[in-house]
Amino acid sequence: MRRRVDWAKWGLGVYFVIFLIFLYAPMALMGVLSFQGVFGGVTFPFRGPVSLDWWRSLFDASIPGSHAEDIRASGKQSLWLGLVAGTVVAVLAFTLSMAFRRRFRGDGIAFYVIMLALMTPGFLLGLGNQLFWRFLGETTSIWKTALGANVIWGIPFGFLVMLAVWNRYDDHIEEAARDLGANQVRTFREVTLPLVWPGVFGCFLFGFTLTWNDYDRTVLLTSGFDTATLPVQIFGLTFSQAIRPDLYALGAATTLVSLLAIALMLVAVTIRLRFRGAPVQRTEEELGLGEGLQLAETEASSG
Amino acid sequence: MSSSSDPDPGLRFDVAEIEQADEIVEQRPPQETALGEGKAVGGKRRNLVTAVWALPGFVWLGFYMLAPLVFIVLVSFWTRTDFGYEKVWTTSNYTELFHDSTYWKNMRTSFVTSLIAVSACLVFGFPIAYFLALKVRTLRWQIALFIVALAPFWTSFLTRSIAWTYPLMGRQGALNQTLQKLGIVDEPVAALGFSPLSVRLALVQLYILFMITPLFFTLAQVDQAALEAARDLGGNWWRTFKEVIVPQAAPGAVIGSIFIFVLTMGDYGTVQVIGGGNVTSVGTVVNSKVGAIQYPQGAASAVLLVLVLMAGVFVITRFSKLREEL
Repeated sequence: MRRRVDWAKWGLGVYFVIFLIFLYAPMALMGVLSFQGVFGGVTFPFRGPVSLDWWRSLFDASIPGSHAEDIRASGKQSLWLGLVAGTVVAVLAFTLSMAFRRRFRGDGIAFYVIMLALMTPGFLLGLGNQLFWRFLGETTSIWKTALGANVIWGIPFGFLVMLAVWNRYDDHIEEAARDLGANQVRTFREVTLPLVWPGVFGCFLFGFTLTWNDYDRTVLLTSGFDTATLPVQIFGLTFSQAIRPDLYALGAATTLVSLLAIALMLVAVTIRLRFRGAPVQRTEEELGLGEGLQLAETEASSG
Repeated sequence: MSSSSDPDPGLRFDVAEIEQADEIVEQRPPQETALGEGKAVGGKRRNLVTAVWALPGFVWLGFYMLAPLVFIVLVSFWTRTDFGYEKVWTTSNYTELFHDSTYWKNMRTSFVTSLIAVSACLVFGFPIAYFLALKVRTLRWQIALFIVALAPFWTSFLTRSIAWTYPLMGRQGALNQTLQKLGIVDEPVAALGFSPLSVRLALVQLYILFMITPLFFTLAQVDQAALEAARDLGGNWWRTFKEVIVPQAAPGAVIGSIFIFVLTMGDYGTVQVIGGGNVTSVGTVVNSKVGAIQYPQGAASAVLLVLVLMAGVFVITRFSKLREEL
């Protein structure tokens, strides 16, 4: 191997760091400003002392001017909506991907229909559902309509995750199970599902975070009687009155929930990688991860 | 039977036979691939199983996406009333819309904004994807850095817009303060906050990951050996870039461009927050029509937006033979 300095690599590395700053700086500033004292404003300079006052006002309704009650109610609403939407997305993305494991008549068009869900701007989906439900003579509501539209947004992401999983999945392992006498249901339950569950869990998390963060669809599809979801609540706070640092604390808090979801997903993946017993090693190879791991190990040991 | 020529019966028979053979050949490949993958045994039952797997997803997609989209088209041809619409067919919504200068002005600015967003994401996102895919050597670091770059996508666009607008941009924002401290400007730059400029910068920040992700996945497939070979054969970096990297990255760039074009054209929540009500887009215009219970007009303007989107996507796909590459 030639040993010479790869200037392009270092240059791009520096650019990558600048890019990360561009990406994260606004959130970091917002997070910092949420720890101001009671006289804190929405811009710098930071008005101390450093305190958790604004964070506390998210939860403690007795603090004057606190929106704690609204926030608690909408947070609960968002959480449940996200969990249900995530579950539905996981189920539907998984079943759809099962259908696409073999070619069928019209699979090309079917694929484009799923991708259309990814390409439809949120407000078109909101508008369409509004008109459709009006025509049906029903009022829109969070659980009837907003849930449906949010699941539509999640399905293509989950579906693509599952396609990637099946792409690296070896069908022979199922044949082997059948050869050993397992019927289809048992093969599915004891061989297929355990191998792909991290993917299904990934679909759930995609569905959850997309719904947890959605504003465009949800705001058009709730009725006046529904408790608002968190993003709708945040939007309301942004426009209804002068902005205070508690909005920053709220934004940071919702972001933390999203980041927690990513962390969960990574944990799910690493749990699978941790147990390196013989059977799981085999599993990693089936998922196409074995090769990558070996590669990473040889790289690590040589470098 | 044609009168101009009279081919002998033997030849005609041959043609028929060839056509028949053709049909058989045409029917063959799907069966063969299915069998080759060891999946399709006993056709009817497998088809039923596939249908059962596909059903729940497509019922949901049909009810919550396809039917509503069809309804936008239908309602756009119905007549407006004070309470919404009645089912009397008309094209007046469209003729009205063609003379609506506000709508077209917003369509134009949204279109320009989207074009800027797409090109900026491509220009600024490409080096990131290139770095991650080809310069970071170990898989572990690749995954780790990719997740770090991707994480903001999982957070709320609304929150990110608020974080962009209030602490950073704006007259008293951190950026203006920094610029003043550095002596680059004397007065706070008003154009940074609640302005089209701020919206455009923010859209790059919000959507660039939609470009980086597909670019990363296509670039990760570049054969390192091909790069070495290009270098060994004396190709300078520009030729290597042009003839090895670009063709490989093209499908990723096309997919990313489609995403960003469509999503930024259709954006309205973030535009409202970042623009602070000063900036409008097609999305906000359509939305205000719907808010004023002008459903047919809102629907018609949405239909025209979709047509523009489809035209844009069509043009973008011309840049790469996407279907063959996939």
